[in-house]
Amino acid sequence: MLSLISPVKSPYHKVPPGPKFFLLMVASILLFLNGNLYFQASALVVVLGLYLVPGMAFFTAGLRMLWPLWPFVVIVFLWHTLTFDIVSGLVIIMRMFSAVALANLVTMTSQLDDVIALVTRVATPFRRFGLKPKVLALLIALFIRFLPVLIEKGNLLVESWRSRSTRRAGWRVVVPLALLALDDAEMVAEALRARGGLEPDEV
Amino acid sequence: MAKSGHLILNGITLDLTTSRIGFVGRNGSGKSSLARVVCGLIKPDQGQVLVDEIDVYKDRRRALSKIGILFQNPDHQIIFPTVFEEVSFGLIQQGHNKDTVRHLVADALARFGKADWTNRSVSALSQGQRHLVCLMSVLAMQPSVIVLDEPFTGLDRPITRQLTQMLSDIPQTLLHISHDLNSLRDYDRVIWLERGTIQLDGTPQTVLPAYCAAMDALGGQDAFADIPG
Amino acid sequence: MEKNIVIIALFAALIAALGLVPKFTLASGIPITAQSMGIMLCGTVLGSRRGAQAVLLFLLLVAIGLPLLAGGRGGLGVFGTPWAGFLFGFPFAAFAAGLIMERWRSDNIPLVAGCAAAIGGIAALYAVAVPYYMVAVSAGLDQALVTAMLPFMPGDILKAILAGYITAGLAKARPDSLLSRA
Repeated sequence: MLSLISPVKSPYHKVPPGPKFFLLMVASILLFLNGNLYFQASALVVVLGLYLVPGMAFFTAGLRMLWPLWPFVVIVFLWHTLTFDIVSGLVIIMRMFSAVALANLVTMTSQLDDVIALVTRVATPFRRFGLKPKVLALLIALFIRFLPVLIEKGNLLVESWRSRSTRRAGWRVVVPLALLALDDAEMVAEALRARGGLEPDEV
Repeated sequence: MAKSGHLILNGITLDLTTSRIGFVGRNGSGKSSLARVVCGLIKPDQGQVLVDEIDVYKDRRRALSKIGILFQNPDHQIIFPTVFEEVSFGLIQQGHNKDTVRHLVADALARFGKADWTNRSVSALSQGQRHLVCLMSVLAMQPSVIVLDEPFTGLDRPITRQLTQMLSDIPQTLLHISHDLNSLRDYDRVIWLERGTIQLDGTPQTVLPAYCAAMDALGGQDAFADIPG
Repeated sequence: MEKNIVIIALFAALIAALGLVPKFTLASGIPITAQSMGIMLCGTVLGSRRGAQAVLLFLLLVAIGLPLLAGGRGGLGVFGTPWAGFLFGFPFAAFAAGLIMERWRSDNIPLVAGCAAAIGGIAALYAVAVPYYMVAVSAGLDQALVTAMLPFMPGDILKAILAGYITAGLAKARPDSLLSRA
């Protein structure tokens, strides 16, 4: 399963996800509370510095992850230039890059399993709201197990379409895919029940 | 042709002129990729695929009337809820008008004696019946060549025999990928694909026993160790 | 019970699959994909509660770092943009769509599902996304509407209509598949 974690080793990889998420939360709040241009500029410099620590490979990988933001930059830039409000436009853009880059940093340096463990741990106090950690773990496991299957089936259906049409696959392909998802759900639920299902106190 | 960093098909040059050609090979040997390249779904990195002089990847419009493909599992292939819609889909895409489409669908169904299936819901059909719907959908488009990518996997013997019988009657050239070596015995030519290249190419009498022997030998060792991945 | 859990996981996977399988992208600059249609479908097919849960599961998995958003995006970073309001609005969209499917008991499924998808996937979604954008960017309503809503509207309306047809297609093929109408 594809993940976004960076293969380039960094000192951040060794830090457990809990503290990283907490720091991220604090930093994000600070970023969004402050609208000062110089503050945002310095913050961005600091964030970029954090990316440089593990080396150029890591830095460029991080920059690449920021590329999808370009439409946002264009829109914000255009609007704020047209309304002669360039300073606040810059603040918004810089803040966005800092926030997203920091968040990406956490994602790039945290192992999936550790994060899942963190999530299930954090979810424990929410038991009373009906979310049991074991159920959550099962949901995640089922998702990861079946996503490649659905993608595969989606691809096959698209191939079936393309082998008979010059047009791009249309919405009609979604119907059989959704049906396959429903059927798979049926079968998996049966398999789960056959293996004892979920214990009564977990239901 | 390369995919995710390693070569799937390497240096394949084939001139297929006989009407019944079989393809054998282990899983992962590139057979499915070859099927897709041949019917124009995937672009070859080098070279081209020509069916009746038409480049099936570049000229998709004309390729539709030249080559069709039947995949393994009808549930991953049938897009529409009724037989009529499924069979007529390709015909509409080929540009026929509504009346012509209706006639062609009726012909396609009648050919197999299934005229009463026109408005049947696909969900109400059995696995074997769904395979037939897929076959009829491809045949309706009247291609010169049909690629069959292990189309009878998982079907019981009687249905497989019936469908094989139906296939043997059709005039199109068949490129049949199969693990069921029996179905290829009467073919004109069999090609053995191994790790993206042609291992052996000749008559079924030449290729099939060699292939069997090799597969048996592998089964004797640790067959799982060899799975490319 | 197991059925609930499994169907929620599978529909969350369906949302992801709709973003990852290269199907169709509706034009208009910013690439829009079938993914947000998946959100609508969670509501119209699974109903309000399970639909919202499927979407929440999807968002959780995006947050923990899986590249599930159209374009292979994911991780916490996507929640840091001014457009993150859309992500936060997704569960509400599914919930609203599901609610309408459950309450409006007409037999004209394409109509009901289409409206449910529109009210959920557009009205409810933008009710969250636009204010979020306004706060994140300190923008006025006019700017928010022009930059955060207008570009997406045509695509979203089309998607709502299609979601209606898809839901109807599912109902026809497998009448008891619509858990929202169970």
